[in-house]
Amino acid sequence: MAGAVGERVFRESSAETIDADLAALWRELAQGHTPIARAVMSNLVVFRDRIAPLDADVATVMADLPIDDVVARHPSRVIVIEYKAGSQPPDTPFAAGVGIATFGPASARYGVEQVVVRSSCTEASLPSIVRRLTRGDLPTSVWWTEDLSQVPPLDPLVTLGRQLVYDSRDWRDVRGAMRVLEPLVSRHRIDLADVNWRRLAPLRQAFEQGGPGGTPLLVPGARVRIAHAANEAALAWLLAGACMASGRRTPEESPEVEASEVSDAVLVVTIEDASHRASVTLSASGATVTGAGAGSPLVVSMPIQSEADAVAAELRLLAQDAELHAALAAVVQLFAAR
Amino acid sequence: MTVVIFGGNGDLAHRKLLPALYNLHVDGLLPPRMAIVGVGRKELTDDAYRDFAKDGITKFSRRPLDEQAWSSFSKMLNFVNASIDAERGLAPLGARLDLLEHEGELPGDRIYYLAVPPTLFAPTVKQLARSRFVKRESSPAEHPFARIIVEKPIGRDLDSARAINDAIAEVFDERQIYRIDHYLGKETVQNILVMRFANSIFEPLFNQRYVDHVQITVAEEEGVGTRAGYYEQAGALRDMIQNHLLQLLALVAMEPPHALAPDVVRDERLEVLQSLRRIEGEAVDANVVRAHYGPGFIVGKPAPGYRQETGVDPDSRIETFVALQIFIDNWRWAGVPFYLRTGKRLPKRASEISVQLKEVPPILFNVDPTARLDPNVLSIRIQPDEGFSLGISSKLPGPDVRPYPVKMDFHYGSTFGASSPEAYERLLLDVMHGDATLFMRRDAVEAAWKWVMPILERWAQQNDPVPSYPAGEWGPSEADRLIENTGRRWRAL
Repeated sequence: MAGAVGERVFRESSAETIDADLAALWRELAQGHTPIARAVMSNLVVFRDRIAPLDADVATVMADLPIDDVVARHPSRVIVIEYKAGSQPPDTPFAAGVGIATFGPASARYGVEQVVVRSSCTEASLPSIVRRLTRGDLPTSVWWTEDLSQVPPLDPLVTLGRQLVYDSRDWRDVRGAMRVLEPLVSRHRIDLADVNWRRLAPLRQAFEQGGPGGTPLLVPGARVRIAHAANEAALAWLLAGACMASGRRTPEESPEVEASEVSDAVLVVTIEDASHRASVTLSASGATVTGAGAGSPLVVSMPIQSEADAVAAELRLLAQDAELHAALAAVVQLFAAR
Repeated sequence: MTVVIFGGNGDLAHRKLLPALYNLHVDGLLPPRMAIVGVGRKELTDDAYRDFAKDGITKFSRRPLDEQAWSSFSKMLNFVNASIDAERGLAPLGARLDLLEHEGELPGDRIYYLAVPPTLFAPTVKQLARSRFVKRESSPAEHPFARIIVEKPIGRDLDSARAINDAIAEVFDERQIYRIDHYLGKETVQNILVMRFANSIFEPLFNQRYVDHVQITVAEEEGVGTRAGYYEQAGALRDMIQNHLLQLLALVAMEPPHALAPDVVRDERLEVLQSLRRIEGEAVDANVVRAHYGPGFIVGKPAPGYRQETGVDPDSRIETFVALQIFIDNWRWAGVPFYLRTGKRLPKRASEISVQLKEVPPILFNVDPTARLDPNVLSIRIQPDEGFSLGISSKLPGPDVRPYPVKMDFHYGSTFGASSPEAYERLLLDVMHGDATLFMRRDAVEAAWKWVMPILERWAQQNDPVPSYPAGEWGPSEADRLIENTGRRWRAL
């Protein structure tokens, strides 16, 4: 898989000249000996609640995010919006830069456009920036790189996209983040993509097939307790929501969620009914089911996936992840009931 | 050859014509013996005119000014102060042309460019005749020749267009008249013919059997700017639809011409205009949406509404946005809607023609009614980023068979490297060569006006409020309904 940037050209720009400057960069690249295909499958709007130094180039601005790795896997027109209301006069974006990063071997070189806009405009004006810079004939995903519980998504911006990508692992306040997501969940206005959700895949598979003879582990009436490591509360609550959304549980049977010392595990789930007790441990390598039957523990391994792999996989999803939406809706209800 | 630009010190000359002539010079495409004469009411010396030209080239040329090229180009530039109002107002011009042609051993071929307001078209042409500058051509190969270039707008309705055409026709033969629609000079627009008729893949699909609908969008980010005086008399229907968009439609929808001779191609374009189903009476309300922009934001910056612009009547009913559903009543396009839209203060400057093919049947990969496959779309980007793309479905890599929409994309800029010539370069060169293919013939101009008139007449009878849309958005909700009522959507650009 191509990942490393082959070449990067960059120039400072202004809000008015971004397209012209990008066209000039492509022309510059076209002068070289290696043909470079212009690759773009979607628009990726990356929101940042901070402003890098004005002389920072595209690569510097994106240094702490795996954007290059993401677009190497799923070529997207990247539009980084650095936004801080009130940090500059509010009437116009005050700085911009454009770049093209190339990837792939010389025989199959492809280039991806990257745009950085720094703005302190009013919130209501942000859509006009995004509309101008996105390619409307391609799906648009907004990647919210901030903690949703601390920096709530700006509605005018987020609803311009088809999909909101975020990582609930960043959440410091799960309940606060769910309050923020609730309107998006209840109105189904956009597709939500939680990168953290993917980590539950082995555990959810274990729930479905971890019982005796490959039967579901999560049976009606069973008591479910989810113990999570520090900083993994969001994942635990997502699992609780998934349990409730599976349709095999009544509100009275809602899982108990608690922070606990769980050794090197991420989550430890205990499923108990009158006759059985099983335990599922989620670690970095996968899910291990013990006590569900007579045999040896069932192990469902975690796909080896970098953050960039996970984000790129989410970008490729063109339909709503119905199971995630159902789980989030269930978490909203769980919090409302407490 | 001598190019005489009436309005030689005006905005069009400054921004477009002089930079275009300069670029033709840099490319070695101008005739070796050449003079350019700006004509205007202002007292300007040749040197002052050269400064004016240099400023325009520096600011607006697609290439940076090269001192060596400029040095030789500037020697061609002259300015004559002349007025068309006086009885012998063009006498100074005549004397100067005679001198230039004599001293420069120029062959006497002349191109007169009317870069003046339309109200001055007829008086200028009359003066040219009175001053005996023009001889009617009896054959296209005649030398020395006299040709005239006329800028749009040609009239503000059918009657005034006919009056202008009549006035010009009193002096020039139709073959000497070049009515410019600069859209037709754009590289991608010319490529429409090549794409359709030099590839076997597309032309068999361009008909009612395979095409679901066609969209033509010409979006401007700019507001009315300094043109309020003109725009208040025009509006988007006159300013854009009657000429640019209908010409684009004609190019996309025309039958294959049997040759690339100017009149053969123009005959086919005319045929399309004559086949447009007329939109009259109540049908106007159902098929045409007009609106003007209200306050909003453009790239983060607050923008005033149209009625708040300097020089605009606060109660103006002039439209800055038009969307239409059009049908072409001929065998090829029967039942295929063409959606046209244009507007000012839209989110970005973008012009595109998209041909949307019919969906594949709802079997195999298109079974799920909640997740239909994207239909194939051929989109032709006219500006910016000229090129075209074909949207197709391809299997997403991985264990599942999941179709994913991808694009086969062609960009002029990154494929051919060098920047494309500006439309005016191509068009000026065509006039020099006597090739009128990309220019509008009288019958086409009048056919377009004839089709537009019932819409203008319907609007003139109405007093209900004109809808508005926030600056920086893609037009009013009424325009969305126009197309969504048929189960289709505007393409986001």
